[in-house]
Amino acid sequence: MTTPATNRSFVTLAGVGHRYDPNPAIPSAVTGIDLDIRRHEFVAVVGPSGCGKSTLLRMIAGLLTPTDGEVSVFGKQVDGPRDDVGIVFQKPTLLPWLSVRKNVLFPLRHKYGRYSRADEKRADELLAMAGLESFADKMPDELSGGMQQRVGIVRALLLNPDILLMDEPFSALDAMTREQIGFDLLKIWEENPKTVLFITHSIAEAVLLADRVLVMSKRPGTVLDVLDVDLPRPRTTHTISEPRFGQLTERLRKHIYEPEAA
Amino acid sequence: MSLKLPEGRTSRALLAAAPWLFFLALILLWELVCQVFSLPEYVLPAPIAIVEAFFNVEFSRWLTHLWATLRVALMGFAVSILVAIPIAIAMMRSELLTRTLYPLLVVIQSTPVVAVAPLIIVLMGSDDPSRVLITCLLTFFPLVVSTATGINETPGELVELSRSLDAPLRRETWQIRIPYAIPHIFSGLRVAITLAIIGAVVAEFVAAEEGLGYFIQFSTSFFRIPQAFAGLFFLAVVSLLLFKSVQWIQQWFFPWSLPRKSGH
Repeated sequence: MTTPATNRSFVTLAGVGHRYDPNPAIPSAVTGIDLDIRRHEFVAVVGPSGCGKSTLLRMIAGLLTPTDGEVSVFGKQVDGPRDDVGIVFQKPTLLPWLSVRKNVLFPLRHKYGRYSRADEKRADELLAMAGLESFADKMPDELSGGMQQRVGIVRALLLNPDILLMDEPFSALDAMTREQIGFDLLKIWEENPKTVLFITHSIAEAVLLADRVLVMSKRPGTVLDVLDVDLPRPRTTHTISEPRFGQLTERLRKHIYEPEAA
Repeated sequence: MSLKLPEGRTSRALLAAAPWLFFLALILLWELVCQVFSLPEYVLPAPIAIVEAFFNVEFSRWLTHLWATLRVALMGFAVSILVAIPIAIAMMRSELLTRTLYPLLVVIQSTPVVAVAPLIIVLMGSDDPSRVLITCLLTFFPLVVSTATGINETPGELVELSRSLDAPLRRETWQIRIPYAIPHIFSGLRVAITLAIIGAVVAEFVAAEEGLGYFIQFSTSFFRIPQAFAGLFFLAVVSLLLFKSVQWIQQWFFPWSLPRKSGH
């Protein structure tokens, strides 16, 4: 599945592959990935465990260098960590010795060694946007898992990145919290448009949130299909009951459970 | 998370009092055994005789001996913190250094300090420096290991967060790895503080004119067994208080590093 690069492409992956082990008998983690992500597009990636979804994310983040092909952002090759990228991990990974507000400010303190009053104000605004204003002075272990992950998202937004990379961010949460935080993420994304790459195991979550869903194969990970999600926005709980939602998730399921038939 | 069975109707007061009651019962049993079998003092002195012996020694003498032991133990403890933590950090940064140093550390750790102590005294004289060194040899290894373990257990995601921010390694060490190692460092410190007392006592056994270890030794050699026991208990209490102090310091300065008490 190759899409020709257009001017509108923001994140471009051209023939990207990565192998951890130089031994050719061991398959690459990912191979031959061509992808163009438009600015402020929400792209979800689904695929079986170990299909290299996280490897893909780390190459876009500049944490891993592709062994084949090239990743570029806005026409510039990615050759190391970039400060226009925010990352949200599977676990909230908050620092247990810092208050919620200080956790949100941590990227600034960590990168530059300091932050200003204006930064503190911005942190408070972001926390308020995520409905966490009354928890700013609490310690992370006083928060529920869902709230901790919200703090993780707010932390990733602090440096106002263009790209938000999310590595199965909601997979540790219970089903109800997960649905709610998904809608909250959409609200945040609509208010602060970002280019989002969202990795998930949940087909329904991918369809509900994304503009496009990338289906990846087992190792070595390649792109099996790219699905345009033409569901109207804003998406709500009603979206789930629409017939189109059912059709799209059905199509994705086919890919994952019977990749040969698809 | 406790795996213990629920205690049913056991009251909290009983749970709190249980260790003290048990301790008291043991002392009473001990007194009883001594009385009933009229054991001679040099075999096993009765608790009352030990208490008597404790008060027969002038308080200022106790303080002199206590200070001598405490001084060496705390200096050894402090020096091994200053040596062990930088070594652990350096080993985290350099694979080469780990490979070079670790076998030597293991050799030092597996050599019985009691056997080496006389040699150190011969080599360096019977002053504080040699006693502090003996103490350090006991205490620094658990500190290196616990600090290194803590530093290495930093979640990979946080290291990635740091890398993605392109932050200097110095901040990754000080703002992420070392704080993450705090719970481990403190479990090392709790082991090290009791070992520090053991180290100081070992050094006094070899050559000293004062200190609680020296006091116990000379009391025994003059067959003042109740007095030796009094010294032993005093030493145990001091050691326990030091252990507790390390816990209090952790509670006070790093409350987040302790597991949150479950709400009941």
